[in-house]
Amino acid sequence: MTVLVIGGAASGKSEFAESLLLKSPVRPRIYLATMEPFGAEARARIQKHRAMRAAKGFQTLERYTDLAGAVVPEGSAVLLECLGNLCANERYSPQGAGAENAENVILNGICRLAAQSRELVVVSNEVGSGGSAYEGDTLDYIRLLASIHCRLAAWADAVCEVSCGLPFYHKGRERL
Amino acid sequence: MIFITGPLYSGKRAFAQKLLDSTPEALAEKAVWDVQELARDCSDLEALADELSRREVVIATETGGGVVPADPAERAGREAAGRLSCLLAERAETVVRVFCGLPAVLKGSLP
Repeated sequence: MTVLVIGGAASGKSEFAESLLLKSPVRPRIYLATMEPFGAEARARIQKHRAMRAAKGFQTLERYTDLAGAVVPEGSAVLLECLGNLCANERYSPQGAGAENAENVILNGICRLAAQSRELVVVSNEVGSGGSAYEGDTLDYIRLLASIHCRLAAWADAVCEVSCGLPFYHKGRERL
Repeated sequence: MIFITGPLYSGKRAFAQKLLDSTPEALAEKAVWDVQELARDCSDLEALADELSRREVVIATETGGGVVPADPAERAGREAAGRLSCLLAERAETVVRVFCGLPAVLKGSLP
């Protein structure tokens, strides 16, 4: 089953996504982290979060680009966080797929993950509600992420938007 | 009139096309989109909303999220866009918010 959890900054989307897998009996729990640690502060933060998740039974895997190359245990419960980072990495990082291919590379990677895992929760960031007064590059990024959201939402089993830590189900409420 | 709103690039126009069973080219005859852009320089939002409401479908992008812009003109434009959306929603029989391509009916019901 694939669930898309989406919300703004500090909306409680991560905790909600985590809770979906914590109430599931599926093991092992894998946390797929997409944020590249830039600088000592980020590394310290990541270390702290990693320890917190380990206490909840999550094993952390890091993957900044090329999601399709990630190998997770067959039948596992996977939390992918977050699509917004992955999208920026594929689009802008030297190791990334670039503007042309980023969208298909990411969606293909998610399909591969969904095929390997039993439960997949994908966390993403809603960035399209602040108007369109951005520079070209930012607007391109929003367009890319939005397009991935639409395509993923079309085949995901459930889609929920999180606000103040509470889910609004756009699709598949009965599946969760 | 059916009023469709939602975030940027969330699939609003594609949804309108499906709703009206229209091609992308023919959509302009029945629908009008990006109306948030019309609010910025408008002196009478009520009249604008009345006029737009004659169309079968009116589409506006949500613009009120994120940080309040520092630039006064942008701030005013965003404010007007939000107000226009409220006025359109009042006049609409049906209001739909499209999120990640998925429609949620906020008012009335879909035909």
